[in-house]
Amino acid sequence: MTQKGSLDDFLATAVEAAKQAGEIIRSGFYGAKQVELKGEVDLVTETDKKCEQLIFTFLKEQYPDHKFIGEETAAAGGNIELTNEPTWIVDPIDGTFNFVHGYPLVCVSIGLTIGKIATVGVVYNPIMDELFTAIRGKGAFLNGKPIRVSSQDKLVKSLLAAEVIASHEKSIVDASTNQINSLLFKVRSLRMSGSCAIDLCWIACGRLDLFYLVGFGGPWDVAAGAVIVSEAGGLIFDPSGKDFDITAQRVAASNPLLKEAFVGALQQSE
Amino acid sequence: MVYRISGSVEDFLAHAVEAARKAGEIIRRSFYETKLVEHKGLVDLVTETDKACEELIFSSLKQQYPDHKFIGEETTAACGVTELTDEPTWIVDPLDGTTNFVHGFPFVCVSIGLTIGRIPTVGVVYNPIMDELFTAIHGKGAFLNGKSIKASSQTELVKSLLATEAGTKRDKATLDASTNRINSLLFKVRSLRMSGSCALNLCGIACGRLELFYEVGFGGPWDVAAGAVILTEAGGLVFDPTGKEFDITAQRVAASNGFLKDAFVDALKQSE
Repeated sequence: MTQKGSLDDFLATAVEAAKQAGEIIRSGFYGAKQVELKGEVDLVTETDKKCEQLIFTFLKEQYPDHKFIGEETAAAGGNIELTNEPTWIVDPIDGTFNFVHGYPLVCVSIGLTIGKIATVGVVYNPIMDELFTAIRGKGAFLNGKPIRVSSQDKLVKSLLAAEVIASHEKSIVDASTNQINSLLFKVRSLRMSGSCAIDLCWIACGRLDLFYLVGFGGPWDVAAGAVIVSEAGGLIFDPSGKDFDITAQRVAASNPLLKEAFVGALQQSE
Repeated sequence: MVYRISGSVEDFLAHAVEAARKAGEIIRRSFYETKLVEHKGLVDLVTETDKACEELIFSSLKQQYPDHKFIGEETTAACGVTELTDEPTWIVDPLDGTTNFVHGFPFVCVSIGLTIGRIPTVGVVYNPIMDELFTAIHGKGAFLNGKSIKASSQTELVKSLLATEAGTKRDKATLDASTNRINSLLFKVRSLRMSGSCALNLCGIACGRLELFYEVGFGGPWDVAAGAVILTEAGGLVFDPTGKEFDITAQRVAASNGFLKDAFVDALKQSE
């Protein structure tokens, strides 16, 4: 029996919450395909909020003293300050555009920080039925099986994931495509999936070798993925090579063999 | 022109599905193992699995249809280009998404198309990792795992998901043109996806997951032969990026749902 208040207990509760939210996402996902334009944005927002509410309620019931940071609550003006207190950091649906379009890369992301350190991570893709989990110091898993980052050591044989920030501002789009241009000369190929949390998990299980993203929404996009990558033997860092800051809206990840070359390439790509 | 076809189109589809599933088994078995990779170019890869699957598919279909013609990616690489004629011709990519296969990235597929009179008539695309089987016969609709699929009804470019690929050429001219084009389009669409499989991108539009796709300079007709039927039968459109008619051998493709072609072609023109 898992001891209440232990890390295993936190993980089990988070998994349960993720699975319940996953159900809601799954039922909205196949319905969304048939929906007319008019209701789309409303539908998504409803599902996001519904899932976030469900997850918060579930976790608050178990852990009334813990703190909570959620994408939708933050958007509504709620708390976004990260303290040393155990803090659940939640993205109820990462991959919102994908959800609307029925593109199967969507997930629930639930991370727990203790002393500002990402300690428990759950990322659940209910469409592909892939559950990524990790507890600091205890390894990373996909549907219960241990996962490890790739052992690729050459940049030119590496698969890079990136995303385009949803913005039509010229300086942002130009910087983005210039960076992609520079990197394409140095890596094997580029993938864009539409979900930051999924990109981190796919680094963790070796499907990708490199990932970077700047200017994403908030800590909820990376809190869970950060633990999962680290526990799978990967590295998570600021794109400049400095230490990862969970609130900075900047992230890079790779296996340990590629970090230096990757940071070099990122620096040259600016 | 009338051809005496030995078998119905339903037969052709059934045998293509069978061949795709068998090849899919081979892909699934080796997917999570270490692969022996050869380079056709700096970033253009081929594996034993590509070759084994093509052999299996060819012998399976040749047994049924000895009079048909065959064009396959790996055979073409080994023996040179086979010209596309009016004869019933199977056009096969045994493993589309080879880079994904090598990396264990789950967007891989078998793509089997049949042209008759140079018209894509039967299409099968099978992703054995996600177990998604896309099928279509000219005039008879498109299906995913047996359920009818339709392209999306999105009418606005700015709310559309665009797919394209980085391709396999890494010379400055190609990469610069490529990223300049992407830059221009990013101001006009909702977002960009790169999944690594041309055939699956076409199928993605067919089932409404994506709205737009273009790729220039891909390997050959085997990347598009099956996807073209599937998308057309799902109510989508396949065309040359200039807006002109689609040419299956031109190594150029653009695709959209039934509503966005004009706006997309405009945007592509402005992106050059």
